[in-house]
Amino acid sequence: MAAYIDLIGIRKSYGASPVAAVDGVDLSIQKGEFVTLLGSSGCGKTTTLRCIAGFEMPDTGTIRFSGEDITYSQPSERDMRMVFQDFALFPNMTISENVAFGLRLKKMRGRYSEAQIRARVEEYLSLVQLADHGKKMPHQLSGGQKQRTALARALITDPAVVLFDEPLASLDANLRKAMQVEIKRLHRQFNKTFIYVTHDQEEAMAMSDRIVVMNKGRIVQSGSPEEVYSQPNSKFVANFIDRANILTGIVETVDGSTAKIRLASGATLSAPTNDATISGKTVGVMIRVDRVSLGEDGSDQRNILRGIVAERLFLGAKNEYVIELADGAGRISVHERTAGAQASIGDVVPLCVLPDDIRVLAA
Amino acid sequence: MEDAATPVMTTASVAVAESTGISPGALKAKKIERARMLFWLLPPAAWFFVFMILPYCMLFYYSLGSVDYVVFKPGLSLANFVRVFTTEPYLSVMLKSAKIGIYTAILSSIIAYPLAFYLAFHASEAIKRYVYLLVIVPWWASYLVKAYAWKTILGTGGLINASLLGLGVIDHPLTLFLYNEFSVTLTLAYIFTPFAVLSIYAQLERVPTSLIEVALDQGATRMEIFRKIVLPISIPGIIAGGVITFSLGFGDFVAPALVGGADSIMISNIVINLLGAAYDWPMAAAIGLIIIALGLGLITLAHRLEHQFQVRF
Ligand SMILES: Nc1ncnc2c1ncn2[C@@H]1O[C@H](COP(=O)(O)OP(=O)(O)OP(=O)(O)O)[C@@H](O)[C@H]1O
Ligand SMILES: [Mg+2]
Repeated sequence: MAAYIDLIGIRKSYGASPVAAVDGVDLSIQKGEFVTLLGSSGCGKTTTLRCIAGFEMPDTGTIRFSGEDITYSQPSERDMRMVFQDFALFPNMTISENVAFGLRLKKMRGRYSEAQIRARVEEYLSLVQLADHGKKMPHQLSGGQKQRTALARALITDPAVVLFDEPLASLDANLRKAMQVEIKRLHRQFNKTFIYVTHDQEEAMAMSDRIVVMNKGRIVQSGSPEEVYSQPNSKFVANFIDRANILTGIVETVDGSTAKIRLASGATLSAPTNDATISGKTVGVMIRVDRVSLGEDGSDQRNILRGIVAERLFLGAKNEYVIELADGAGRISVHERTAGAQASIGDVVPLCVLPDDIRVLAA
Repeated sequence: MEDAATPVMTTASVAVAESTGISPGALKAKKIERARMLFWLLPPAAWFFVFMILPYCMLFYYSLGSVDYVVFKPGLSLANFVRVFTTEPYLSVMLKSAKIGIYTAILSSIIAYPLAFYLAFHASEAIKRYVYLLVIVPWWASYLVKAYAWKTILGTGGLINASLLGLGVIDHPLTLFLYNEFSVTLTLAYIFTPFAVLSIYAQLERVPTSLIEVALDQGATRMEIFRKIVLPISIPGIIAGGVITFSLGFGDFVAPALVGGADSIMISNIVINLLGAAYDWPMAAAIGLIIIALGLGLITLAHRLEHQFQVRF
């Protein structure tokens, strides 16, 4: 079954560069989905998005959009609009004129009367809470207002898909949060397909139905925010998505769906697995900072580790403890509510973690 | 390093002191700031005085005097200024110079715009370097030589006539190319176009690619993108280039002397004549002052227009 948008084997390199910016991307996007391409700088997110938008043409591969091959069609022939990081507002036009731009073009002639255009611009300006700013010039607006103008300008032409290339990257943290909520609201309200690019994992988690993690021009994992958070399929994803402790151990036995893993410190951990072939191999063990706690609560369900408190950082609602495990088995960071268990630097403390909160990763 | 940072800090502290009422510390900072400013401003101020203010004062002094045979007589009369507007050919030549200046500005802008556009939007870095070189290299040759070159191109035995004769389009060499306003304008435009290219290019270069992409994305045609976005943004560049080429064309004296006809004499030629053969420095000074006043007016107007059309991103 073909999806709404299909990227099949997309590969693209710039100029004579031997390294492909996008190196074989396959991706299917459903109608109405909010998909985020997430990855560090230079991993090919923008290039992928620009191929979807039509600003770049892939060297090889096919892009299909509701059943049609659009790989080589012009940006204007695709029912998609792009929102840029630098807002790209026309500096010689007022905010209203900017928003009305697409409606006043030759190709739209006869579609709307001038009165209808004005009414529609009003409507979309109030949609993004800029009703009173229509007569201003772009340079008179704040960053957030500029980006809302760009949003209104993209939405007013009623595209099926809206593409965002790090639209909030140049805004400060508070504004970014507010705009995330706003974009999410618009997604719900319009039920359009949103494809979003960011290198901010928190933003991706907060907004997306699905996160596509990219690295070096390839997709490394694709799944819901919960999935990529709790079940990363590689050390790369585990590290990229939020804070993770990654230790190394050897699998002693695999019993049914539980592996017993021995760390360098001598401690043994039980962890779920569905791969019996890892027995005897060296694996990575991921434990999220908020899934491990200080102290032992007595129940034998839990894995217990011991170590010395090496650092203690006050983070507001919680403390972060950095625990040095014995025998160079590594360090573990623990987030503990400020009101919860306490320890001081130098203390030897037990740590406990539920088997289900441990993820076994290929080394 | 430390020195570079200090003025910034003192400026800020002065601003704070002024807004909050003055504390002794702020006063002292202000004094130090002043002393430092004076130190840095002295050389440019001296230069400005010796080479700008002083000559203008002398010009003004001369313009109020008169000449008795070949002796300058100081005076306090505005007669020279009156003469500029009442005695032929001063005013009409000045108007004609303005006309040539306008033609030059228009022709330069028309030639410059597509070139600047190409450089800003389509040229690779390598091509840009070559074009810069092509624009700069002719400036190593004397202006005189270049004006002469046009003589050989446009003249009766020149390139154009030879080609037309060779092609059999005409059977007598045509004289209409040389020694008239056309040849003067063409020569001036050829020489001054780089100024127009640079000012238009500087403006076009500010247009981010994303603006063009948004417009393409929305379905604008190339023509619409040019008309609605690129052209409006580039207007200040056109004005700036126009003012420069107009001024250079208006004040030129080489082109009219070399490729101009008997009636192509321009105001600078007259001034030169007044300074030399006619030996009427007061009159030359009066014309000079009027031109300076006109120039100031023009620049003020252009500045206002540029400001009005200048976009802010
Ligand atoms: N126009 C271009 N010309 C040459 N190389 C390019 C061009 N655009 C991108 N690249 C290269 O392609 C690779 C992928 O770039 P891309 O812009 O897609 O990354 P990105 O994931 O969007 O990064 P960022 O988070 O920094 O925006 C990078 O190595 C980059 O240097
Ligand atoms: Mg990018």
